[in-house]
Amino acid sequence: MLAIVIDDSRAMRLILRRILGQIGFDVVEAEDGQAALDLLAGMEKKPELALIDWNMPNMNGLKFVTAARNSPDLREMTLVMVTTESEQSQIVRALAAGAHEYVIKPFTSGAIVEKLALLGLVPSGASL
Amino acid sequence: MTLSAADFAFVAALVRRESAIVLGPGKEYLVEARLIPVARQAGAASVSEFLAMIQRNPDPEAQRKIVDALTTNETSWFRDQDPFTALTKHVLPELIQARAASKHIRLWSAACSSGQEPYSMAIALREAMPAGWTYEIFATDISGEMIERAKRGEFTQVEVNRGLPVQKLVHNFERVGAHWRVVPALRSVVTFQRMNIAGPLPNLPPFDVIFLRNVLIYFDLETKRSVLRNVGRLLRPDGWLFLGASETTIGIDDNYERVVAGRASAYRLKSAVPAGTAGKE
Amino acid sequence: MSLQYIPTAADLNTIAEQVWSSYLDPEGINPFLPEENVAVDSEIHASVSITGSWHGHVVFASSMAAAKRAAAAFLAMNEDEVSEDDVIDVMGELANIVGGNVKSMLPSGCFVSLPHVVSAPANANHWPAAEKICELTGTWMGEPIAISMWQSESESEGEATQ
Repeated sequence: MLAIVIDDSRAMRLILRRILGQIGFDVVEAEDGQAALDLLAGMEKKPELALIDWNMPNMNGLKFVTAARNSPDLREMTLVMVTTESEQSQIVRALAAGAHEYVIKPFTSGAIVEKLALLGLVPSGASL
Repeated sequence: MTLSAADFAFVAALVRRESAIVLGPGKEYLVEARLIPVARQAGAASVSEFLAMIQRNPDPEAQRKIVDALTTNETSWFRDQDPFTALTKHVLPELIQARAASKHIRLWSAACSSGQEPYSMAIALREAMPAGWTYEIFATDISGEMIERAKRGEFTQVEVNRGLPVQKLVHNFERVGAHWRVVPALRSVVTFQRMNIAGPLPNLPPFDVIFLRNVLIYFDLETKRSVLRNVGRLLRPDGWLFLGASETTIGIDDNYERVVAGRASAYRLKSAVPAGTAGKE
Repeated sequence: MSLQYIPTAADLNTIAEQVWSSYLDPEGINPFLPEENVAVDSEIHASVSITGSWHGHVVFASSMAAAKRAAAAFLAMNEDEVSEDDVIDVMGELANIVGGNVKSMLPSGCFVSLPHVVSAPANANHWPAAEKICELTGTWMGEPIAISMWQSESESEGEATQ
């Protein structure tokens, strides 16, 4: 299974890559929404999952979610926001734009795995 | 100062039984570090001495403390999923039929810890119960500290990330400072009380649903028997008992019969399972 | 806009505890130890600005040693494998996470800037006309760390450049 991690922090991309790797995902990365769209446009096989930060230069995560949901190629992707934006109103906005799940930073690796399990994206018995 | 292989195996088995956490090889230092305060509190000079103490004289509360110390922040909402799915899909629809006269149901979360279980029940009920129905959830735990915490209904960012679908977060919680707090409408249906499940139980009106999850494992057979007997007395004849994923009444108490509810097992009193009960599967 | 709810050092500590247990000390062996009135001689600091309904900054300052340890812990590397870029990136992300969590305690309509990391002591001169709202000081593995929140007194207020 393939995932894309979209975050302007290299450290954060590394952490998420590691967690996803432990549960069997191959991972590609992008540092903002626009870079992600460009990368995805060139991929024949699209990822099943995207983990998306909110605050990034060039194109933020909310705009990426909107773009992905509006794109025939990308609308099947499961979209999970991973962000410090934690006000109720922001979460509601993200869900309204089409995000499927939402993880607030700071998160433990268990939290990410459980959220993905809720979405049916984790082979059963995975533990950390 | 390092833990013996036997001690580590004992702790790993205990933690594995109680939670999904697997303490693999190499985690000895972690066990040692996390258990030092627990050992000291129990009056032992070292973790090894503490573990020897409790292996000689099994002490459920000490065992609980061990598990808590090694699984901090691991308490999850809607833990194990299946019992809550069973509640929503099988149990509540049946109760809605069976309690049509009173339009009231009572649930008991009998080892509620910091509150995730009773509040998860409250969220499930809020979503599943039709208008005009009332419900109450009784939540007990042996730890007074836990009860005080649970009453506040406040959880950290990290805690609400665990097993709680985000839709349920935004509909059932509100921000308070750096925390998330269960909304007043839900807090009002849960009553918390400190109680030792292994001791004599107070006379209470019987419950329609009891969650007694991951508590029996800490007790010896004799105590398991008395707990199930006492709890059984507080269960409505057509009520439902849910235990932890790896627990069962079989071999312990003949008065219950195991019933499959979706992917979960539930236990119902044999004496009065209503004839022609649909939805057992 | 003045704050209805004024964040406190205790709030910063709640946030810090979660940051440590999530990234810097997931196994609970080397927690951050808060200590009041510890003089933190920082050597590196990361900050985010908050704008919109409220104006201010959130600053994460520490010794270079603590910053290297944080980078090593965050990235699950050995300290000697950690590059300067890694340290800057991790400090920035820590300020981002703390700042984001502080923002959620503020009136709605606030925005958090991208983080800014400076390898220099954090001192009040960097933010003229700013008033400290709260501060959390303490040590982590013997190294000093300070997390603070500042309110700007005026709309246009810049950080004095090094």
